Amino acid sequence: MDAETMRLLAAGISMGLGSLGPGIGIGILGMGAMNALGRNPEARGAILTNMMIAIAMAEAVAIYALVVAIILIFVPVAYNV
Amino acid sequence: MAEQKPVADKKTGKKIGCLGCSFSLGIFIFIIAVLVLFIVSLALGPIGQGFLGIKPPEWLSVPTPHVLLPAEVIIPMGEFAGQEYGITNSIITTWLTMVILVIISLVVIKRSKLIPSRFQSLIESVFEWLYNFCKEAAGEKNGRRFFPIITTIILFVLFNGWLSLLPGFGSIMVHTAEGHELPLLRGANTDINTPLALALISFVFIETVGIASGGLHYLKKFMNVGRFFKGWGKIFRGQVKSGFGDLFFGVIDGVVSLIEFISEFFRVISLTFRLFGNMLGGEILVLMFLFLFFVTPIIIPHGLELIFGLIQALIFGFLTLVFASIAATPHEGEGH
Repeated sequence: MDAETMRLLAAGISMGLGSLGPGIGIGILGMGAMNALGRNPEARGAILTNMMIAIAMAEAVAIYALVVAIILIFVPVAYNV
Repeated sequence: MAEQKPVADKKTGKKIGCLGCSFSLGIFIFIIAVLVLFIVSLALGPIGQGFLGIKPPEWLSVPTPHVLLPAEVIIPMGEFAGQEYGITNSIITTWLTMVILVIISLVVIKRSKLIPSRFQSLIESVFEWLYNFCKEAAGEKNGRRFFPIITTIILFVLFNGWLSLLPGFGSIMVHTAEGHELPLLRGANTDINTPLALALISFVFIETVGIASGGLHYLKKFMNVGRFFKGWGKIFRGQVKSGFGDLFFGVIDGVVSLIEFISEFFRVISLTFRLFGNMLGGEILVLMFLFLFFVTPIIIPHGLELIFGLIQALIFGFLTLVFASIAATPHEGEGH
């Protein structure tokens, strides 16, 4: 395998594995929010805001993987040593 | 409620047309046009070219996108360690954002009336919402204290994010002295320096709040070794059993405070990369959509970007607010 193939493969793997955890996390968050909404439908606004913030926190992990993948694909300096 | 609806539908039965709009024919033609554009753009894009072998006319083809991670230097001012520095296009966008925010606030301040106009009440409601947001998370007194800087951060990030969706960003080109063609405007959050600067501002703010409200007690959180030395003292004084106990818990306290110290700096990295990655990822998504299906489907990532810009701005402000309110509350249960 040459460097180019390796680079693209690494970007794909980093994005795929990196979004596994956040996917599970966001699923659990959504489940929690739905449970809370079912128990207490009046608190819709507060639940929605807090759920959004928590989802964005979980999503940040996937964003780190995205940054790594972007750097692997688009930054030519990193591998042209 | 549920029984009234069909009655209302029956009353205006003929007027309700396509999608509940009275101009049924217009809406219908519009949807058809959008669909046709959708299919045409899908077929003429690179995907359609690959599958169908259609060659689009020259004026319709989109050049292959290229992504530059560092911001482009528009006005070079010198070199440092082999890297050119100067005024980049993201700095110009930052200035544009600041000018817009200052103009909006000046207009609102100068023309504020007791009975607000439409614009003033919009701004007022935004500020009121943010004020309640601060008060809910940080309490009555601290919320009032933190409100200005949190609102500044939120509005700055929000306007930065939304400005870069306007036409002209990335498409207005300037020619530099070396003959390069560079975009004049670029979303400021897609350059890592802007999120880093914002994160450093919020870091300094959090530490200042902590030291101002806790004093030395706040700094003790990061170097909690008192119990460790106390344990040594107890051992030398002959109280071996409780001395070793203090020694053991002192080591745990020290490790915890070390972790606390590291996490304080990791917050900066996490805040920076969260904003940067989201904004850059969105920009690249828009670029790739534009390349793959060039006319209509671009609305989808554009709409997503509107939501993400708002959410990221709120996240940045909210995290700063939460960290600051944690730093402001004294640790009473700690120690002995």
